Amino acid sequence: MISLRNVWIVAERDMRTFLRYKVLLIMRAIWFLAQIALFGLVVNKMLRPDVQDAVGGNYFHFYVAGIVITLLYSTAVFIGYDIFEEADHGVIEYLLSVPISRKELVLGRSIGGGLRSFIYVSPMMLFALYLIGISNPLQLLVAFASLFLFTFGVAGFSITLAVSIKSSDKFDILLGVVDALIVRLSTTLYPIAYMPDYYAALAKFNPLTFAADIFRWGAGIESALITSPWTAVLGIVLFFSMFTFLGIILHEKRIEGGGWQ
Amino acid sequence: MAVKAVMHIMERDIRYFFRFKWWVAGMVSMNLADLFIMAVVYTRMVNPNLVVNYFVFFAPGLTITALFAAAFMIGREVNMEIRRDIIHYMLSLPIKRWELAFGRVLAGSVRGLIYMSPLLLTTLAITYLYTSVFPSPLELFTIIFTLFLVAIGTSGLSISLALSTTSFEKYITMRGVVYYVLFFCSTVFYPMTLIQSSLPTPLVLIARYNPLSCGADLSRAFLLGTPPFSFWMLLDLGIFALFFALVAAFAYRRAMQK
Repeated sequence: MISLRNVWIVAERDMRTFLRYKVLLIMRAIWFLAQIALFGLVVNKMLRPDVQDAVGGNYFHFYVAGIVITLLYSTAVFIGYDIFEEADHGVIEYLLSVPISRKELVLGRSIGGGLRSFIYVSPMMLFALYLIGISNPLQLLVAFASLFLFTFGVAGFSITLAVSIKSSDKFDILLGVVDALIVRLSTTLYPIAYMPDYYAALAKFNPLTFAADIFRWGAGIESALITSPWTAVLGIVLFFSMFTFLGIILHEKRIEGGGWQ
Repeated sequence: MAVKAVMHIMERDIRYFFRFKWWVAGMVSMNLADLFIMAVVYTRMVNPNLVVNYFVFFAPGLTITALFAAAFMIGREVNMEIRRDIIHYMLSLPIKRWELAFGRVLAGSVRGLIYMSPLLLTTLAITYLYTSVFPSPLELFTIIFTLFLVAIGTSGLSISLALSTTSFEKYITMRGVVYYVLFFCSTVFYPMTLIQSSLPTPLVLIARYNPLSCGADLSRAFLLGTPPFSFWMLLDLGIFALFFALVAAFAYRRAMQK
């Protein structure tokens, strides 16, 4: 039987740990501001008029929404580094000694990893919504619920990678490569219609595409180029289910018998 | 000043650089993804009246961003060494303080140049493929010299920032602001005319005198033919490199004397 209280205690610990990463938090916030206040503004003027029409009239709004999702992804993925660091410093042994079951521990980590990212990005998300404007609060609520699941899915994805790879060097490198590709091969920065076919084929199934497009839909960006909201919700639910499940199973398996060592 | 001692310091820092495998791998993938994915997609979206071929326009800029990111990294190590008193160990070495200081500045720039080299070759290949123009030996030398100046100045700037405070949070905030302002407020990603029409005057001024802009435009002058080469770009970079190399060396020496 899983105790929700225990799950919450683990999640809360992860959220507190996150506040210690001042460097990451400061750098990410500055990056967000620079992306929208400098890059977003200038690139917005560089595009063809038909592109502006296609993305709902204003590429800047399209871009701001995409950057929020990139930020959400890059902070949620950080839980994998925590798991590696804890293995390095012997914290896992301590965690296993506390009166919390393996399942509660693993579930709590996945929830904590996603929740802390959502909380951190919330002010920037609100700022983005202030810039874009809100036209339908109900749509926005659906988008928020989906993004909530998306962050849990990303945390699960990161945990899955972290527990599948034993070398922290390999994990760092793999995450760096995945990070570079997953963002650029999605609709966070540009719509799928302008990608060459070989990139578009990958972008269609990218969870960041679903997350970026559902957030745009929630914010009321009217564009025929964004993924249909129900496809996006379905994609996010599938991503969340797959990686939360995988992350929990693999993590639980690995912590038995000192598999992290 | 003994060249051998400076070389030892440089060798240490260069070896140290390749210990950050994850950072190098992440940066390489980021740079290549920027060029072969992001720039390819933007090429289909950018107004050709403003930038004829964004992919070709961006390629020289990518070399500069790679160089800048790699050379900027030395500051983080210097700040860590100061905070953790590793500098005391450095002082125990039979190397003079000036040699240490200049060794660090030079090491930062050489790391940038090493990291940037494969990307410069990629840029040369791309621009040759699209424009059939290959720079003459003198032009190629000027490009490499320009990149060296950008690397020296960046390394110096990064070390100066690292030594300006012992608080890690303050340093990271300053570093982040300077890094992203120089990065995005430059002609690496977009031409000057666009910056002028999109950003307020103070930022336009930063973009105009930004060493990254001068480096990118100077490379484009020889590789793409536009904007035209101007001697002022070289002078701007020379002043930037000299100023920050000296500031960093003085600041480093002062930090060691505390």
